[in-house]
Amino acid sequence: MKRSNTLFAHITIFVITQLLWLCLLGLWIYWYVSNYIIFEKVGDQLSPQILYDGTNVFAFVGGIVLLVVISFSLSFIFRQLNVQLKMTRMYDNFIATITHELKSPLSSIQLYLETLSTRNVQQEKREEFYKLMMKDANRLKKLMDSILEIAALEQKRLDHNYTVCDSDKTLRQIIRASEDQLNLPPQSYTISGVLNSLTLIDKTAMGIVIDNLFDNAIKYTNGPFKINITFKQLEKKIIIEFSDNGIGLPLNEQKKIFNKFYRVADKNSPTVKGTGLGLYWVREIIKSHKGKIYVTSEGTNKGSTFKIELPVYKTSSGNFLTKFFKKKKRSTIDMSELYE
Amino acid sequence: MNERQKILLVEDEDTLAIGLEFNLTEEGYEVIRAKDGREALHIFGNNLFDLIILDIMLPYYDGFEIAAIVRNKFPQMPILMLTARTAAVDRIKGLEVGADDYLTKPFHLQELLLRVKGMLKRKNWYKELNDEQKIYTFGNNEINFETLECSHKGDNFRLTPHEAILMKYFINNKNKIVSRKELLEKVWHLNPEVETRTVDIFIARLRKYFEDDPSSPKFIISIRSMGYKFVGD
Repeated sequence: MKRSNTLFAHITIFVITQLLWLCLLGLWIYWYVSNYIIFEKVGDQLSPQILYDGTNVFAFVGGIVLLVVISFSLSFIFRQLNVQLKMTRMYDNFIATITHELKSPLSSIQLYLETLSTRNVQQEKREEFYKLMMKDANRLKKLMDSILEIAALEQKRLDHNYTVCDSDKTLRQIIRASEDQLNLPPQSYTISGVLNSLTLIDKTAMGIVIDNLFDNAIKYTNGPFKINITFKQLEKKIIIEFSDNGIGLPLNEQKKIFNKFYRVADKNSPTVKGTGLGLYWVREIIKSHKGKIYVTSEGTNKGSTFKIELPVYKTSSGNFLTKFFKKKKRSTIDMSELYE
Repeated sequence: MNERQKILLVEDEDTLAIGLEFNLTEEGYEVIRAKDGREALHIFGNNLFDLIILDIMLPYYDGFEIAAIVRNKFPQMPILMLTARTAAVDRIKGLEVGADDYLTKPFHLQELLLRVKGMLKRKNWYKELNDEQKIYTFGNNEINFETLECSHKGDNFRLTPHEAILMKYFINNKNKIVSRKELLEKVWHLNPEVETRTVDIFIARLRKYFEDDPSSPKFIISIRSMGYKFVGD
């Protein structure tokens, strides 16, 4: 309620300011024209020594230019204000979701600690509670890591360790590692296609990308999820497509989901968990690999496809990529896999 | 307790729900869990419960929507909201849509269990109240403490058990000043240090029901820095 009132107040102020400005412009023109007519009619008789010259035209044009500049400045200020308002709203939303994401695992850990200290819990149950506490502690750790690493990535303080590697082999390894870490059910994904080129990959960062894409597919699928990963080899780039059978995305949301703090407000979403940072982080990592990421979806309940493009590393043209990554501070390139 | 009291636990966080279910079961309650808003409404439609523990941030239908639907169907159902949201606006909204109590995460297990126990006890206590005076009238208002049905200038509505108990307390202490502390202790069975805003929200609700002009009340009057006073006819 308060937010919509603020927005309404800003729009009202903007409209009033524009109306005032138009009135001022009208008055300015009216004043000039009426003065000019009076001056032309009686000026010579009253004061013959004052002669009309070009300076008045200059004042007139100058005044109009000044008013137009003021108008543009006002529009610019209001535009910036609007952007700021949007950012504040997203930030508020982020604070609300992050509070939820921090407090939920913390309450659960506290609940188990109090349960274990006040009740006589059987050994089997006790083991189960320890596992649940570990799960929540890991969730908290992951959340903290993501916040800290995104901040480091934005401020270019993150160490990158790029490896020139066999794309097919490395990506399959990373996907398998994600499968283990997220404890995915068997046959929940397939990989088709083959890559036969080298590419520069920071394996840890790419692991985060794959983890996030899997995690998203799980969160936004009703019932059992199925992911089809497709590798495509092109001359200058490799493409990794990540298709799920989830709830999909309307067209107008497809670009926005990579924005920082952005979360799709969908009543039919099977989850409320999330911080609006995951896909932003994914995009930043792919950008740091000089790659691109898009999402396509035919609409709600028709699944989504995330498409990652990474540049191919060629020994002849490899210099270009090597130079690019070497230019980046805090980046190392490991080429040992080339000679294995 | 011959029959186990039944609690509907609506919580989307698996780890928290497992721990809560364990503790409530250990206390002798029968617990049925719903993972999201849709499931909660489905289960609620097919079962009878003594109490609902409700998270706010839930998929499909949030806790506020569920509380409003439940309250509309069963005005006497005790609802305890359990949530990570701490903003005053959320607490007020929760209590306004019909929650009887509000606990923020992270919470102490003992506090949660005491509140659940207190809410269930009040539900039973309320049943005993019915045997006393069933219908009470003041001004243009009539309250039937048996059915919780009320009328104000011909408009009919229903009170929640909490509202009814509070009203009953005021009626029993007619023309006496009752402090917030006393209300929290006697009506809510809560530590007055915990939450005083709850009382104000419930008073606002009662005024909306029974006063011609809730902003200048004639029946439930605020006594500055003392509390409230109920003035009947």
